[in-house]
Order: sequence, then structure tokens, then C-alpha cells
Amino acid sequence: MSVLQANCPSCAAPIEFKAGSTIVLVCPFCRSAVARTDRKLEDLGKVAEIAESESPLKIGLKGNFKEHRFELTGRAQNRHELGGFWDEWYATFSNGWVGWLAEAQGKFYLTFYQPLPAGTSVPAFETLQIGQTISEVSSQTPFVVTEKGTATAIAADGEIPYKLVPNERCNYADLSGKGGAFGTIDYSMNPPWVFVGQEVSLADIGLADAKSAKREAKRVAAAAMGCPNCGGSLELNAPDKTERVTCPFCNSLLDVNQGNLKFLRSLAKIENPFVLPIGAEGTFKDNAKFKIIGAVVRSVTIEAAQYYWHEYLLYNPNIGFRWLMHSDNHWNFVEPVNAADVEAELGILGTTTGTPTTVKYNGRKFKIFQDAPARVEYVQGEFYWRVEQGETVRAIDYIAPPLMLSQEITNKEVNWSIGTYLTNAEVERAFNVSDLPKPWSVAPNQPSPDGFYIKYGFLMLGILLIVAVLMIPLSGFSSTPLAQQITLPPMVNATTPQTVFSQPFELKGNRNVRITANAPVSNSFADLDIDLINEQNNEVESVNVPIEYYSGSDSDGAWTEGAQTQDATLSSLPAGKYTLRVEGTWQNFQQPMPVTVKVEQNINRGVNFCLAFCVLAILPFLGLIRKWMFESKRWSESMFSSASSSDSDAKEDMFGESSEIQTVFDRKKIS
Amino acid sequence: MIRTLFLIFGIGVILIYAASSWFGWEFANSGSRSRLGMPFIYGGFRGGK
Repeated sequence: MSVLQANCPSCAAPIEFKAGSTIVLVCPFCRSAVARTDRKLEDLGKVAEIAESESPLKIGLKGNFKEHRFELTGRAQNRHELGGFWDEWYATFSNGWVGWLAEAQGKFYLTFYQPLPAGTSVPAFETLQIGQTISEVSSQTPFVVTEKGTATAIAADGEIPYKLVPNERCNYADLSGKGGAFGTIDYSMNPPWVFVGQEVSLADIGLADAKSAKREAKRVAAAAMGCPNCGGSLELNAPDKTERVTCPFCNSLLDVNQGNLKFLRSLAKIENPFVLPIGAEGTFKDNAKFKIIGAVVRSVTIEAAQYYWHEYLLYNPNIGFRWLMHSDNHWNFVEPVNAADVEAELGILGTTTGTPTTVKYNGRKFKIFQDAPARVEYVQGEFYWRVEQGETVRAIDYIAPPLMLSQEITNKEVNWSIGTYLTNAEVERAFNVSDLPKPWSVAPNQPSPDGFYIKYGFLMLGILLIVAVLMIPLSGFSSTPLAQQITLPPMVNATTPQTVFSQPFELKGNRNVRITANAPVSNSFADLDIDLINEQNNEVESVNVPIEYYSGSDSDGAWTEGAQTQDATLSSLPAGKYTLRVEGTWQNFQQPMPVTVKVEQNINRGVNFCLAFCVLAILPFLGLIRKWMFESKRWSESMFSSASSSDSDAKEDMFGESSEIQTVFDRKKIS
Repeated sequence: MIRTLFLIFGIGVILIYAASSWFGWEFANSGSRSRLGMPFIYGGFRGGK
């Protein structure tokens, strides 16, 4: 179709269909959706004004994608059936392409219509399962269904390349693939249309300079739109995203709909349940500042025991939403994760049958730790979904300390998030507070404190081994400066020793000295005192070499004890000329005692190495023991530990015979 | 602090071991005037008396 100038069929104002692909144009004067056909213009009805948001995009903005220029020519706002809305911008390309730029929670997804191969069709909406792989959509990476729902077209502006009927409801399914691949199945068409693309940043599409529309935090004045229950003034930190808010004065749960507050119910007040107040600002990694805008108390019931934890909703206008989890006084910083980037052992996620025990994300393996229904017990502050007290999701945790992958599943969507363990000190530093309550027990993804000593302890043992091997050739070969047989003459009496000197010999410096003595004793002893005498300075180094050897036989057979050869080793001595003085007493003192003495140098002994090894091994082995105890304590808290009842029993108790949680919920995912 | 001390201690042990191999020091030593070592620990097995 070409450019068309016409008059609005509703108000007769001049309108112009600029883009050839435009099917519907929103009249800027009366806000009628005007559809053009080959024959005439059709008034489809009035469309609402676009709800204000902080979107950096606007109609007329020009960008480029893969070297093709485009202009944003239209905008449609869709309301999610569970609350919240998102924008779809229509990008008209200079080469005739029409792309859809979806914007939700600060993220952007650019997709294009992709016809299916002839003869193929996508699964019907009713049979679609969360986590299902859609093989019919050809792409570089397989797509999995991450959300299915019904959207209502609530507002529009500019030129729309399809027949947008105001307030029309249509079913859709969102698909995710690895590396930011994104797809949508639009079930309003027959057969359904498939749109495939990817998550992009503004810089990727040549809109890096686009600025968010800065708005002051919207103050809901007491006079006009205060709390409908008590009239108190409320401040919304994310007014275009908030769906529910609690009144800090009367503790009412209020529904937020385009700035209008509606009283839902009163929540039972809990005094100071949270250690960090709503409104506190914290600085996290990469200097990102987040404000606490909401807080939730949640619980799981495992084996009739209820366990509570707190979750703080953090908000940064440029980054979006994050969570700070607080459980047993342990902290985790939680961020959303693309479901398609998580590889499970089994293809289908979100069902009890075939729940994987390990998953892989970013090259790291995570083990299943917990699988239980998590229930909202109490809320305070603002939330981007229609939170309800009592809402329940199936929560599965996988751990690879210090990380924890969490999956929350309902029958409508699956969300993955990754938590990074934070110490108390890190949270105190982030929020500039002190004396946060100390943690107890072991958190699922708490890193073992002994990892450093184990890692570096074994590293040093390895270095010691390498040094020991290198020193063998470097220190040279052993040598024998003296090997001589000397004979001690018979003793005068049993106590007066006899002395004999050896021939002189040379000793080299920086080499150990081993003196070996051999005496032919049999069932007797010879006690030798050997002195090494330095002939230059007459310094003496003395060693005692007691030799005894006994043998015999008894009912068990022959036995021996001791040896005829013994030795003693000394540290290196100054180089020079030495003589051995051998002084001995022996049992058969009336007989002469022939003694063979040998002096060796540079003997390889394992004693030094063993001593060094034992000293270095103390801490890492203690660390291993402590780590084992730490891990035992960690896994004692898991329903999947080997000590607990079998996995199937635990899940049977939790979910009964049905394989899906039936609880109805209201929650929009973090996109 | 403790981690730093641990690393320094470990490196020190390795260096002392390397030095002992190079200079011929024996830590389990015998002799009355050994330069370095513990005279009461004897090298080599001694049978009982």
C-alpha cells in the first residue's frame, strides 16, 4: 500500500498514512483507530491515551539495526491479564521491513515476522506447556515457552501495521532462546503468526542517545488520590510499573490502576518484620544504586515445619527490578535470568515428572537443593505485579555456591533468577548500616570459609613437591669421602672404651654428612661414639651410633631384632680435612671389634621433605575436614540430601498425586 | 590478615626446605653441635636396646 491522505471517518480531520505498511492509524484529533482497506477507511473505535511511562522511545525516533535505518512509526500498549502493561513500538525500515520493538521493564526485544515452513504449524494455545521446546520455529537456538497468556490492546498511537481493534483480547506465548533470542506466537491470527528476534540494547539499534523521560516520583496527594481507606498520602517510586501498594499508615493492600488507587483488603499488621526499611537506598556491584520499594515475607512448609524468609524488592529506573533475599540472616542479591540459558538434563521444565536434579548455567553446574511451594505471607510497599497474600508458586532452588539458581513455576509462566551470596558486611556497606543480625546455620549457597586454605594449601604442597624434584639434580650426586675398616682392640675391662682414628679425608661444604658404622655383632651390642674432628680448627662434631643385633627362634619361628649397621646424619660442616675418632664399648669386650665406617655426603633423605610436607599439610587437611563438616551441615537443610527421605517421597508429600500446582496466582514476571 | 600470614608462612616453609636442600641442612639431626636442627631426633632406625 502507498502513502494515503484522507479524512478521519469519525471527526473528518485530515489524516495521513505515511508508511506503506500501515494498516491502522490513530487519529491524533479524536483518537479513533482508523483502518484502511483497499476500498475505504473503517473506524474501529476509540483507543485510550497511552499511559505515561519513562520510556526513552517516542514516535518519529530514528535508529538503525544491522545497517538498515528505521523509524518508530507507531506504538501500542497491551495490558497483561495478570496486571501491568507493556509497549510495542512499530519500526518501519527503509528497505520495507516492519519490526516490532517490545519494551518491558526496561528491556527491549526486536522481532520480525517469520513465516513457518509450508506444512508446519505451532502447537495450539491450549496445549502449550510452559518450558516446552518449540521445534517448529526454525532458529539458531531452540526456543522454549516461558510465558503464555492473554493480552488486551488498551492504547495506541501513530501508525500500526496490523488491524488493531481497541480492547481486543488475544492469546500469545513468549519464547526464549539462548543468548537473548526471543520470540512470540500471536494466536490472534489463524494460523498463528510467529515473530522471532532478540533482546537488544538501545545502543544495538542506534538509539544509545535516547533519554528516559524523567519524571518525579509521583506523589499521590491526600486531597485527590490518597489512600482510599485512611486518606494517607502515598508516594510511588515506580508509578508506571506499580500494580499493588500497601498503605504505610493503615496497612491496606491497594490496587494501582493508572494512578487510581482501589482498596482491596486490610493486612494484619506485623511489627517491624524487616531489618531494612522501605525507602532505604543501597549501592551494589558496578556502583548500581537501588532503592527498596517493597518487601515480602514468604514461607515454605516442609515436613509440617514452616520456614520464613524476607525478600526486598529493589528498583533502579535505568536497570529495573532486582531482589535482596534475607533468610536466616543470610543475604542474596537476586537478578533475573533468561530461562533458555538454563540447560536442564531433561527437556521439559516446570513439571514434577522429570524435574532435573542438576542444571547448567553459564558453564556451571547447579545441584537441586529445594523444591517446595512458596507462599506470600505478608507484603509492604510497592510491587510490579498483583501480589496477593497467600499466593503460591512452586519454587525450586539449585545451588553452586556462592550462586543459587531459583525457578518459580506456575501454570502460566516460568521465571528463573540467580542469587549471589552476600555477607553481612557487604550488605551493611551497601546500605551504610551496621549491626545487622548475625546469620545462623549454613545458607544453601554460602561459600565454604575454608576454600582459600584448601586451595592455596594444596597449591603450596604442589610447589613443595616441584621444588623437591628440582633439588635432586641441582644439589648434585652423593659421594663417599671415607670407607674404611678399623679394628678396635680388646677392652681392658667392661667399662673402659677403646679408641681408634681413621685415615684423614676431605669433606665438601654445603652437603650433609652421613656416618655409617657396621659391626659384626650377634646377640650382642656395640656402642660407638664417633667424633668428626676438623683438622684445621680442631672443632669436633660428635655422634653416637649404638649397634645391636639379636636373633633366635620361638614357637612363631625365627626372629631378629636390630641391625648390624646403623648410621647418623649431620648437617653440612665447613669444608676441609677431617678425621674420625671411633670410641667404642661392646659386649664381648675381650675380643677385638672390627668396625667398618663409611662417611658419605649429599645423601637424599626424605626427612626434610616429610617435615615440610606435614607442616604445610596441617591447614589444608584441617580445612578439608571443616569443609566436609560445613557441607554436611549445608545439605542437612536440603530435602535432597542423602540422609533425608527419598526424593520421590518428599515430592509426593509436597504435591500429592497431581503433577502441577493448581493454586491460582497473580504475578507478572520480571522480563 | 590471617590469610596473608598463612601464605607468608607457607612460602617460608618452602624456602627453608629449598635452602636446606641446597646448603645441606638436616632438621632431624644428630650431633652435639649441629648448625641447625633437633639433636634429639636421630636419622636412621635404631633398634631397641
